[in-house]
Amino acid sequence: MSEIDRRNFIKGAGALGLAGMSASIGQTVPRLARAASSATVPDVIRKTVASTGEKIPAVGLGSWITFNVGNDMVLRDQCASVVSAFFNAGGRMIDSSPMYGSAQEVIGYCLDKLGAHDRVFSTDKVWTSGDGAGQIAETAERWHTRNFDLLQVHNLVGINENLPLLFRMKDEGRLRYVGITTSHGRRTDDMIALMKNERLDFVQVTYNPVDRKVEEYLLPLAYDRGIAVIVNRPFRGGSLTQQLEGEPLPEFAADLKAESWAQLILKYLIAHPSVTCPIPATTNPAHAAENMRAATGVLPDDKMREQIAAVIGVLV
Amino acid sequence: MSEWWDYGLADFLLFSPRVYYRLFETMNSVWWIAVLAAFVAGLVAAGLAMRHGHRGNRVILVLLSLIWGWAGYGFLWQYYQPINWAVAYILPGFVIEAVLLAVFAARPLPLRFGWRGDLTSCVGAGLLVVAFVIYPFVGLIEGRDLIQAELFGSAADPTALGTLGFVLMARGTWRWLLLPVPLIWCVFASATLWVMDQQVAYVMFVAVWLTIFSGWLDLKNGVTTRRLTEAERATPASLSD
Repeated sequence: MSEIDRRNFIKGAGALGLAGMSASIGQTVPRLARAASSATVPDVIRKTVASTGEKIPAVGLGSWITFNVGNDMVLRDQCASVVSAFFNAGGRMIDSSPMYGSAQEVIGYCLDKLGAHDRVFSTDKVWTSGDGAGQIAETAERWHTRNFDLLQVHNLVGINENLPLLFRMKDEGRLRYVGITTSHGRRTDDMIALMKNERLDFVQVTYNPVDRKVEEYLLPLAYDRGIAVIVNRPFRGGSLTQQLEGEPLPEFAADLKAESWAQLILKYLIAHPSVTCPIPATTNPAHAAENMRAATGVLPDDKMREQIAAVIGVLV
Repeated sequence: MSEWWDYGLADFLLFSPRVYYRLFETMNSVWWIAVLAAFVAGLVAAGLAMRHGHRGNRVILVLLSLIWGWAGYGFLWQYYQPINWAVAYILPGFVIEAVLLAVFAARPLPLRFGWRGDLTSCVGAGLLVVAFVIYPFVGLIEGRDLIQAELFGSAADPTALGTLGFVLMARGTWRWLLLPVPLIWCVFASATLWVMDQQVAYVMFVAVWLTIFSGWLDLKNGVTTRRLTEAERATPASLSD
């Protein structure tokens, strides 16, 4: 069990920040995505998964609520347009859960329709106190895939059974990464204990300029332990951007080339050295592309991040 | 560490109002004949409920049984369950309600429906009006299209509301067996609509409490516990009450 070394954290943070900046101007897209659509996918900032060194685009795509459209073919095709826009803008990670109704099936439909199974960084969860293996098999069936890049224990449900299961799958080569999730800042103590004691690749937490509790301990711990961080609810389920709608962007947003509050928030998150990938959800293809553009250009430094949080804190 | 109790109600909102109301649009478009037939059947049942006589009573129960079966399959199973896994746990309730209604219809002396002129009858009639006339079209006020109307007979919410009305309009010792399923649905629907920020959630909530209050009144006044006499079964309600 290692304790957090804040000096190393800050030092590393700077290095990662520089890495992020260099990524924004020089690095190329992942091999599979490049192979699938080399002419159209732009360069985006990528973050490193510390446990392997793999670099993944710094913005992902969530599916909570937005992809739960059931058998409605019109809405399924709209979701496919969102996924298409997301991939074409350089995105890779799509996240879902058995808890999200039909979202998994809809993602499978979208990937089939776009022929994009080889472009996605597939991220899902196990969310049961019962048969975790059975649920994972069902999840794979819905995605129309065999193996996932990342599986997480959703909200720590059935953690004592499901986490060993995921590690076993990883050891057998059926899974690349193992993670755990929480949201709304719940069960932080349990989360921290697991981060300290288990060989996790990813954690998923709620984080945005208004909900900053994870900055105090959890994000530094993740950095110290080499655990990649996925950020859920970056827009507070949409309510944050709705509240900011119509408000003029601060002047410094132009320095970051942020065109919207959504991009400003995402840049705020990406710029944190511990954060690997926020996963905003949307039903709008234009918003998916806009979110991905947050992972291009300049990122805010610590001072500017505080300014962003302060401005948003005043407005909401 | 598998704790489910730290979830909030909003955690279980898995779909947007846009997707929810599209369910009715799709169902009304694809199954319009069945939707219309179920609505008309409900209207016929409501008309009969204001009258008396054993034959009409049996028809009401058969129609309501068919309606619950259709709403369970047509709406819940086909459309709602894919976006809301919690529906799978309530779906058997629709089957139970349909079977109960059929059993009541098959009894030698089914429930007797009819206007009694008391508060419970007023509440029952009011719920029928809400279910048939107000609830389906309240969306128009909120800017939704007519094609998204939630009609009694197919959409679960007005069907449950209306059934509460039918039961309150009925007499007979065992009628309360028909209340739990629609009451549970109304609570479930009210919670769902509430987390979706839909004002109509209050209608479902108020309906639940009005039904419980009316049931308590009937219990207090002996309407519930008193068995129907042969004379009451044979004569119009207005004369026997």
